[in-house]
Amino acid sequence: MLTLLTVMITAYVAGALGALLFGGGAAGRGVAALGAAVGSGTGLALGLTAVASGEVLVQAPARLLPLTGLMLRIDGLSAFFLIIIGSIGAAVALYGFGYAASYEGRYSLRSLGAMLNTLLLSLSVQVAADNALTFLIAWEGMSLSAYWLVLTEHDAAETVRAGVWYIAMTHAGFAALTAMFLLLADGDLTTSFDGMRANGATLSSSLRNMVFVLALFGFGTKAGIVPLHVWLPMAHPVAPSHVSALMSGVVIKMGIYGLSRVVLDLLGGGPTWWGGLVLGAGAVSALLGVLYALMEHDLKKLLAYHSVENIGIILIGVGAGMVFQSYGLASLAMLGYIGGLYHTINHAVFKALLFLGAGSVLHATRTRNMEKMGGLIKRMPATAFCFLIGSAAISGLPPLNGFASEWIVFQSLLGGFNIPKPEAAVMMPIAVGMLALTSGLAAACFVKAFGITFLALPRSREAENAREAPLSMRAGMGLLALACIGLGLAPFIVVPALGRVIAGLGRLPDVQTQFTSGLSLASPNGFGRMSPTLIAVGVPLLAILTPLVMLALGVNWKWRTGESWGCGRLGQTARMEYTATAFAEPLRRVFAELYRPTKELTIDFHPESKYFVQSIEYRSEITPWFEKYLYAPCLWLVRLLAAVVRRLQSGSLNAYLVYVTLALVILLLTARM
Amino acid sequence: MNDHDTLFAQLSTLSASAVLLCGIALLWRRSLSAYIKAFRWQSLTLSVAFALIGYFGHDHDLYIIAVVLFALKVLLIPWYLNRLQTRVGAEREAQPYVNVATSLIVAGLLVMLAYAITRPLVMVSKLPTRGGIPLAVGLVFVGLFVIVSRRNALTQIVGFLVLENGVALLAALCTYGIPMIVELGVFLDVLMGFLVMQIIVYHIRDTFDSIDVEQLSQLKH
Amino acid sequence: MTGYLLEIGQALLALLLAPGLTGFIRWIKARLQGRRGAPPWQPYYDLRKLFGKEVIVSKHASWIFHFVPYGVFAATVAVTMLIPLIAAPLPFDAVGDLLAVVYLMLLATFFQALGGLDTGTAFGGMGASREMTIAAIAEPTIALAIFGLAVGAGSTNLGRIVAGTLANPGAVINPGHLLGFAALFIVMLAETGRMPVDNPSTHLELTMIHEAMILEYSGRYLALIEWAAALKLMIFFSLLSNLFLPWGVVTTLTPGALGVAVIALILKVTVLALAVSVLETRLAKLRLFRVPELLGVSFVLALLSVTSSYLLR
Repeated sequence: MLTLLTVMITAYVAGALGALLFGGGAAGRGVAALGAAVGSGTGLALGLTAVASGEVLVQAPARLLPLTGLMLRIDGLSAFFLIIIGSIGAAVALYGFGYAASYEGRYSLRSLGAMLNTLLLSLSVQVAADNALTFLIAWEGMSLSAYWLVLTEHDAAETVRAGVWYIAMTHAGFAALTAMFLLLADGDLTTSFDGMRANGATLSSSLRNMVFVLALFGFGTKAGIVPLHVWLPMAHPVAPSHVSALMSGVVIKMGIYGLSRVVLDLLGGGPTWWGGLVLGAGAVSALLGVLYALMEHDLKKLLAYHSVENIGIILIGVGAGMVFQSYGLASLAMLGYIGGLYHTINHAVFKALLFLGAGSVLHATRTRNMEKMGGLIKRMPATAFCFLIGSAAISGLPPLNGFASEWIVFQSLLGGFNIPKPEAAVMMPIAVGMLALTSGLAAACFVKAFGITFLALPRSREAENAREAPLSMRAGMGLLALACIGLGLAPFIVVPALGRVIAGLGRLPDVQTQFTSGLSLASPNGFGRMSPTLIAVGVPLLAILTPLVMLALGVNWKWRTGESWGCGRLGQTARMEYTATAFAEPLRRVFAELYRPTKELTIDFHPESKYFVQSIEYRSEITPWFEKYLYAPCLWLVRLLAAVVRRLQSGSLNAYLVYVTLALVILLLTARM
Repeated sequence: MNDHDTLFAQLSTLSASAVLLCGIALLWRRSLSAYIKAFRWQSLTLSVAFALIGYFGHDHDLYIIAVVLFALKVLLIPWYLNRLQTRVGAEREAQPYVNVATSLIVAGLLVMLAYAITRPLVMVSKLPTRGGIPLAVGLVFVGLFVIVSRRNALTQIVGFLVLENGVALLAALCTYGIPMIVELGVFLDVLMGFLVMQIIVYHIRDTFDSIDVEQLSQLKH
Repeated sequence: MTGYLLEIGQALLALLLAPGLTGFIRWIKARLQGRRGAPPWQPYYDLRKLFGKEVIVSKHASWIFHFVPYGVFAATVAVTMLIPLIAAPLPFDAVGDLLAVVYLMLLATFFQALGGLDTGTAFGGMGASREMTIAAIAEPTIALAIFGLAVGAGSTNLGRIVAGTLANPGAVINPGHLLGFAALFIVMLAETGRMPVDNPSTHLELTMIHEAMILEYSGRYLALIEWAAALKLMIFFSLLSNLFLPWGVVTTLTPGALGVAVIALILKVTVLALAVSVLETRLAKLRLFRVPELLGVSFVLALLSVTSSYLLR
């Protein structure tokens, strides 16, 4: 395992250096992709070995970097996230090789390749970190490299704005995390996580609460919990698509990793309200995420909002686990955590797949606006097929992976009646309702996303002339599509493995014996049973049998093509199609109280008669309420403070020297005390 | 628990939920006559509930109350409400402050709240009727919510009457009816309150030509 | 082995009965409205005719269009194999529980909507958009009704729910049970496109939902889709009757009991069909934007059902 770790780190470093060295061109792209792919592949192998063997690897890379206090330790949870990073990283690296080609000569490929490798490296180091210092350095490395990557297309105003939001939010989170670790580590950031475990148990309950709230805020900004998610739908769409895939698939999952590491592992669970808060935040994020996604017609922005939704689903699982844990219902708690983590890897896979698909579409049509797409299924069949698989998976449709994990989350919520306190038990049915609404809306949203983008007639010249993505891009998507199917079919492998991972933290007893490990999956205490594997065999079997039976019965097998039926109008053009806006209109009206859309209708009548209209303009906009009511006041406050601070900036050198002297004196005075 | 009690428990909870459902049906309807109809059905189920509790609880006073209730709330008040409606003109509850779908969900949450609040009471209670108590409290909440969220004076009156039905149901479920004299006094109170309210409705209409209570804010100036 | 045979047998039974059910509702409705109406077995003739006709495919359609009828039909037939129609528990009980059933039906709806969008006509898009809206808003009610049933029976597996209710008959007049039934009944009306949500016999452009989605289909494709729609109605009817009123469902296998079970199923479904026909005759179709409010009602019913069976344990 140690060799694998070394190879992984070396490959990433080599990839980054190679990209800097070789610069643009196929060689640079190739080296960067190779480094990332080898690194990810090794990381994946490392994770798989660690999960399978249950070994824990502890390593202080002192020889490599003396005097830094870096500590690495790979246990089950780290290994699980290494698997996520590795599998997505490998597909992204492969895809990136082809995708980055279109950047040649326009943007710096040097920094793109180097930063991609750095991002992957810091992600891997972060999940393997064994003390706060290592964790925070990797965290910052991840944030900064991601920032750099977001700014790849730095000449667009939208990108710059997104970058600013991202870096501001991420640093607010970073501050919270530093404070949290200082509290937990008793002021010394090099304390190992083992030390923190011991510390965590001795902290007073108010301090523990503070640690939890800081952790939730810090990791929440990264994960994109509503209302801390504002940066996410801005930053993810403007990054290069394979980077978006990595960010939505993996980077935001670090919030989940951190939260589970700190709350479940270091603190060992807490009072019920912790879990209740996480569960509530999850349910709200899930619902609001999908509702705003429905109103988006920018394909990548839509996907970004769906990341908010899925983080919500993950947190519903984790939150339910925390609630059950606080009541000592170990097997149900386990089920909740397993559901959350299972959905983490599932979301990583299908969201990365969808972003790569969107990237291929963007690559072919040069637009992210769905209203300009259409008919791509005939022009890019492979991309369309992969996107369809991703869409079905994210909508939680059987037998794909989204269904398996949502089923487990549902099962854990259904166990809620075991909770003795009604105040807490009441949350569960409400969460069930919200989760169900979320998955229904997600299905509606992906009918829109797939149907408008890929089906019917092309709505623009670009869409009409679209060409299929190159081989490396298709290969990247294909890998992830296979992973979607595989993860969906094999919950009987994934679930017990996750059970071992969580039990390995020593906070919950392993209940894997209570999961039947046959083809069908049963929740502990036998509340429900189902088998996506058999469904996956059955439904296609029926779909194949049906035409065979029909043939045997002598059904008329002829078909011919003709015009679509159109009430007698001649010819069909793309302007007659339903648009994305129209598709989402019923839901916009149903949830009008939430969206509060603004409407503006200008009609120019013909001067002679108002029965003839010369032009008509309709404009409707939706501003998310949290931007209006939460962030606008915050920004106003910051501006106000900045105006106050500005008075200090006189521009005179002497004044600055006075500040320095004053600061020195105050520092000396306080240090003396 | 013997069979008699089990059946009693089932039936009392069932009738209590029927009464509550009539209250919730109110939120889904818009026209005033639908409100009155829902109220009438609710009062009918309520008097059936009273009779049931009287039969199973061996308290024959409750039969009398059920009959009075029927006369008052199924016949008299709805008839009067209908007359009132024709006199002041049927205004639809066109734009409640809270829209229908949200109202319904709020009502559901209010009932859940009622369950949470009455939990300790239900837990210690040995009455076979205890299953209906949260529903009755929920109905009180729903009545209050109708009053708060509707803007037509007449619908607000119906809301008040629904609330009162909730209180009566609660009394019947908790104590198998408070002494009859008190109960009858309460009915008289309701009738008086109702009469006063209808006079006010006339006044509102005479002053503003509408019974939208929004108009009342004009009195400030 | 008998279990598997029974499984296939009941799926075939459902397939066989489903068109008759649709025809029966149409016939009763016609009678109630003072028309003579087509005989109840008319849908069988329709299916035969459609299977014999040539398919016309829009020139803008992709492979999705060709795949959808098979996908929808297969998913719906798969559901009939998972639900207890005449016997419980069956061997496929461990393949899918109630949640799997709901998601399989969502799978069918998903593909159906894609099929509607594929040809690029405005009608298809309109139908797809409306269908998905209603499906999405009906989802929480279904989930909560499942919750109520599952908490009552201690399992989400259909066989266990049926067996649980059979063992404890007093639970049937439990308010939680009745409210759950009412909630699922409303959802059934919405999901299967009956009045007052959708008018199954209209082809008026502005009001149709399901019909708009399948407007481009013809021949054997249309036959499959129509059959799947009838089957979906059959599934909902049998779920409603067997989950809430499970008498007649066989738990120990004897030929005589099976015969009784089939008759009981037909009887229960007939009663429900009568209720739906009366409703459809009495009710006007709701405006599209009142449908969410109706589903709101069903959601509240389901919420109350859960609360009463959940917090009063």
